[in-house]
Amino acid sequence: MGIIKKLPAHLEKFPGGGIAVTSLETILLQGQSKSVWYLLFGTACCAIELMCTGASRYDFDRLGMIFRATPRQSDLIIAAGTITKKMAPRLRRLYDQMAEPRYVIAMGGCTIKGGPFYYDSYAVEKGIDHIVPVDIYIPGCPPRPESLLEGCIHLQEKIRQQKLSDWQEK
Amino acid sequence: MPELRTEEFQVNMGPHHPATHGVCRMILTMDGEKIVKIEPVIGYLHRALEKICENRTYAQCIPVTDRFEYVTAMSCNQVFAMAAERLAGIEVPERAEYLRVIMLELNRIASHLIFYGVTAMDLGALTPFLYGLREREAIIDLFEMTCGQRLTYNYIRVGGVAKDIPKEFIPKCHEAIDVITEKMSDYEGLLNENPIWLVRTKGIGVMPAKLGIDYGVSGPVLRASGVDYDIRRDDPYSIYDKFDWKPAVHQNGDCFDRYLIRLDEIKQSIKIIKQALEGLPEGDIKAKVSPNFKPPAGEVYARVENSRGELGIYIQSDGGKKPLRVKMRGGSYCQLQALPYFGTNCFIADLVAIFATLDIILPEVDR
Amino acid sequence: MTRDELKDYITKQFEGKMTLLDTGRHDPMFEVKPADLLEVSQKLHDDENLQLDFLCNLGAVDTGEIFEAVYSLDSTTLKMRLDFKLILPRDGAEVESVQKIWPGANWFEREMWELYGINILNHDNLKRFLLPDDWDQGHPMRKDWDAPDFIRMPEL
Ligand code: SF4
Repeated sequence: MGIIKKLPAHLEKFPGGGIAVTSLETILLQGQSKSVWYLLFGTACCAIELMCTGASRYDFDRLGMIFRATPRQSDLIIAAGTITKKMAPRLRRLYDQMAEPRYVIAMGGCTIKGGPFYYDSYAVEKGIDHIVPVDIYIPGCPPRPESLLEGCIHLQEKIRQQKLSDWQEK
Repeated sequence: MPELRTEEFQVNMGPHHPATHGVCRMILTMDGEKIVKIEPVIGYLHRALEKICENRTYAQCIPVTDRFEYVTAMSCNQVFAMAAERLAGIEVPERAEYLRVIMLELNRIASHLIFYGVTAMDLGALTPFLYGLREREAIIDLFEMTCGQRLTYNYIRVGGVAKDIPKEFIPKCHEAIDVITEKMSDYEGLLNENPIWLVRTKGIGVMPAKLGIDYGVSGPVLRASGVDYDIRRDDPYSIYDKFDWKPAVHQNGDCFDRYLIRLDEIKQSIKIIKQALEGLPEGDIKAKVSPNFKPPAGEVYARVENSRGELGIYIQSDGGKKPLRVKMRGGSYCQLQALPYFGTNCFIADLVAIFATLDIILPEVDR
Repeated sequence: MTRDELKDYITKQFEGKMTLLDTGRHDPMFEVKPADLLEVSQKLHDDENLQLDFLCNLGAVDTGEIFEAVYSLDSTTLKMRLDFKLILPRDGAEVESVQKIWPGANWFEREMWELYGINILNHDNLKRFLLPDDWDQGHPMRKDWDAPDFIRMPEL
């Protein structure tokens, strides 16, 4: 099996036979990165942009991203919108309910550092990264759908660069 | 046979539930499949906008109001600007008023298109969602070419508007409203006679007019119950009294009427926009207002009709450059408050329909 | 009724109970004594020529020295608006609930109680609702409120 490991990590077709050889890791991670299902978790203004991204013009589905209503079926939380102190424990609970491997995208200024509510607000959690680990930050208030799409492409890249052995360690 | 023991039980809905349009939690007391009591729990999106406004100058408050009701952010800008203008006695140039009306009505259409899509999606139809948001993009493009933002515009300022519209705006706007007028028949065709839709909405969640008025319900929800009350006509602001239009009113007060009335409002808005585009005068777009202006001490409650009802802002000024108090009042706040009184005695699936057709968005409730 | 007629009418009908203030910039603004609140409200609601059946807004104001409670009313039939306010002392502020007259006041009053600490008498559901359930830092909308993680915007 050592030879398979040495083969380059892209598909190769042998002449005459319909056989492709690649590493299991590549296949799995390719598949995983192209079917990231996200949890429908919108709290505030950014949720509208998330909706637009899912709708006709921007079409999230072409990245293989389909929304799910329950955390058990999703791989990704796109935290779209302000997380207040009252909401923070709920976000944590949703994150805990998801199965590994799971990812978090912080969409918008609010989820990064409180955004427009950094000053003078007594109720807003200033950044979600001390509640859940964040993989991708997308700045903006709200970020445009294009930035969200780009963020998701970066996430896919990140998934593809993982090692299967990483999974076991978690 | 021994008698069966029955008891009421509680179901928790939210705060993360796809049908609550945000983060509202409802504690439902159920008797079998029927809801007997609803207790809304809010505050999951309480961002202290009012406190923030107290520490900003009037000009800096406008972006904050964008986040108050982001689906129709223009009307929040408008109501704050209007309140500040009334406090300081600022006259707005006529061209600015026309631009404001055009933007407000376009924003109303955009909001109702979201309503159309999201409500249908909550009740299990995905196509209207794609249709509604497709046409909304045409409107968002118009906003983007005027003020550079898709959602939080910061366009209507104290004393006028931020920028003049670009040259291409008017033809593009005509194009957009023509497309929407044309697509209206698609929207109606998809749902108006759809048997599933009718079963899910007709006769469900009837809100009596008296109850609505008592609890402060306003806007399309109240008009769907037969109360002919529209702030644009009854407490005219800006230049709404110059146009020929009339508020849509329906009589039954059920979910279906609440849905129909939104489609009718889109048509009325289109009518207003057409007239406003025609009458758009040349001239200034902003009165001279210093960014740190200090209105004299006093207080004012200004209100506009936005797509969810009465949107009001109370400002008290002590003569300084920052307001002493800003109180925001949103239509959804009262709609959600009234929900427990007419939303009971139905199934949870019906509650989803009622909640969706009330068109509640949570930042307006929690602020 | 126009705004001026309304001012005259109220001053005549509610002599001694409602005093016209000159701070109202668009709609007439009156002052009512906290003790008269229920009586005045009932009359405003029931009066044939007023029919103020719609409570638009109700909010508290903290000016630093006193509290105010501002009521904004509207008539859905006769289409007119007026505001009135109560002046309350800063400690031990108490106000009667107007839920019986305008049921919609319920949440507005709850909010006053929660964010300003104004006690509402005869309210049927005074429970915390905007702030987190385990909130123990007092009434955040008061002007003198402060907390360790509360950051004020620096002056430019
Ligand atoms: S980042 Fe801006 S647009 Fe997004 S939720 Fe926060 S305030 Fe709203």
